[in-house]
Amino acid sequence: MKLLYSLYKEYKVLIRDRAGLAITFIMPTVLILIMTLIQDSTFKSVNESSVPLLYVDRDHDSLSQTLEKYINNSKFFVITKKQLGNEEVKKEIAQGHYFIGIIVPENTSKKLRERSMARIAKLLNSFSGDSTSTAEATGTDTSGITLNLFFDPITKKSFKTTISNSIERIISQIEMQGMVSALNEKMSETFPDAKPAAMENTPLVSVTEEYASYNNSTIIPNAVQHNVPAWTLFAMFFICIPLGGNIIKEREDGSAFRLLTMPGSYFIVMLGKLLTYTIVSLIQFALMLLVGLFVLPLLGLPQLNTGDSLPLLFLIALSAGLAATGFGLLVGTVASTHDQAALFGAVFIIILAAIGGVWVPTFVMPDIMKTISVVSPLNWGLESFYAVFIRNSTLKEIWPEILKLWLFFGFTLGGAYLFHKYKRLK
Amino acid sequence: MSVLVDIQHVTKQYKEAARPAVNDLSMRIEKGDVFGLLGPNGAGKTTLISMLCGLFPPGSGKIYINGHTHETHSRESKQAIGVVPQEIALYPKLTAWENLNFLGHMYGLKGNSLKESIRMHLSVLGLEANMHQKIMSYSGGMKRRVNLIAGLLHNPQLLILDEPTVGVDIQSKQAIIDHLKKMNRENGMTILYTSHHLEEAEDFCNVIAIIDHGELITQGKTKELIAQYNCTSIEEVYLKITGNKFRDK
Repeated sequence: MKLLYSLYKEYKVLIRDRAGLAITFIMPTVLILIMTLIQDSTFKSVNESSVPLLYVDRDHDSLSQTLEKYINNSKFFVITKKQLGNEEVKKEIAQGHYFIGIIVPENTSKKLRERSMARIAKLLNSFSGDSTSTAEATGTDTSGITLNLFFDPITKKSFKTTISNSIERIISQIEMQGMVSALNEKMSETFPDAKPAAMENTPLVSVTEEYASYNNSTIIPNAVQHNVPAWTLFAMFFICIPLGGNIIKEREDGSAFRLLTMPGSYFIVMLGKLLTYTIVSLIQFALMLLVGLFVLPLLGLPQLNTGDSLPLLFLIALSAGLAATGFGLLVGTVASTHDQAALFGAVFIIILAAIGGVWVPTFVMPDIMKTISVVSPLNWGLESFYAVFIRNSTLKEIWPEILKLWLFFGFTLGGAYLFHKYKRLK
Repeated sequence: MSVLVDIQHVTKQYKEAARPAVNDLSMRIEKGDVFGLLGPNGAGKTTLISMLCGLFPPGSGKIYINGHTHETHSRESKQAIGVVPQEIALYPKLTAWENLNFLGHMYGLKGNSLKESIRMHLSVLGLEANMHQKIMSYSGGMKRRVNLIAGLLHNPQLLILDEPTVGVDIQSKQAIIDHLKKMNRENGMTILYTSHHLEEAEDFCNVIAIIDHGELITQGKTKELIAQYNCTSIEEVYLKITGNKFRDK
């Protein structure tokens, strides 16, 4: 009964604290919206599964169709096909709608066939001592064919090189196929009765790639998958400011003194605060999930993929909420004044958020920071959310992070209790 | 009369302090007394009250409340006490009713008895009409009256008052003192009162104790004490015992 009334009191106090409510619910919503919009293009530049590519096919022949097929198969790009002029393509890229634009000019396939044929003829003729090719004899142009590639100006050089290489590799394969076809055609002129087998075009040398990161993370989140859990965790831990302030205020106005003189009530009140603010954390989480699911898509951002396990998400949120509330109780107990709690709490959370990968994700951090990031409880929560959102992980895979959050909760709660006892006995 | 509070050779030394805040102090408070605990700043009143309330134990010595110590019978000892701190120990964004309802439940009260107790005290102290207004909208005197009710709700055997009338208008002060006198007279509630308002203490308390430097200097019936020191008021007795020097620290 006492606990119920303590919860009710905390609820009433919280619901009438507009500034506290703004920090608790509006701040993370705004941060998620702003940071996701800001970081969306940056994430796209490092996220290999969704590079938007504008494809302008003026060729409408084998080369452009094969190139499109290869690009699609690479799973590297999201292709949008449009018929635009060169300047319009540049404009689309410059406005950030696409990262790359490819224009395949008219008659490219035809030119490739002609030029492959000419080069093969020249090569074969050279065996008979005739260095003059058919092309030269007929005046065919054997120079290179140009495809136009446009890149977003913000694209990093390394990324641009990677993309260029990938596309060049695809084009080389098409060229190779063109040459082989031309060779087959020429050879069949020399050996009309021969029936050559089709040449296999699978690569003779293949390269396997694997991420060698310390936590076996092989999938990089998009801006939504990063920012929704990141800023939710940030807001959860920011609860230490209203919660710490609440405890200090009770101490300053004598309420804590009064509660301490009541039989068993102070710990009931602290438990009431713990439960109330943990419930608030869960509401924050639910609200931010809804923002990711329904609000962000309205702004043209990807919808949050919540993975397959809602109970596991609830467990992560509960663990993070308890860790955050425990930290708030510790801040409220250790700090002597509102200013101390606000300053210490805010600075500490910002540092934990920074090293934990909330501001800048850990996968783009230097190695030293990646190592340091594992000390932040925000990082434990964030890694757990990534695991469920992106890898559909189970409890078996994320229990170490969950355990760390519970240990942090136990440590902060124990610290708050001991400090409270120490201060009373001093 | 029987003894309600028995303080036996209590000493409390804070870790970083040069001398004890309370030094081998012994005194008794009889049931039904209105006991004035007076002393200059730094005399040890707050430390003594904190130990009486069970906030921390004495360094040495014993404090019995109705025969129990906080160390062995915390629940019984605390249930016997009601505290009215000097600060307005209320939640400003809650109404008077919400504050008192919460604090009543924390004392283990519930149901109609709690509601009736709240209504009765609010009515006597003239706050019934404003009971659903937030405390933050109250005047200083109204806040003090609600602060007092919060300590009275569970009808404690010992009510500890720390400067209960500081900074209030004369009407509120009179209402508070009258209500306390009534609770003492009708319910036999023992009151431990600390204040720097010596005139009010003289009028209100039947027993006065003056402490200084953590030690009990004198204790006795108010009138007897005035006669014993050949003075005309408690204020004179107080100045005679504690001197005229400032006690800023």
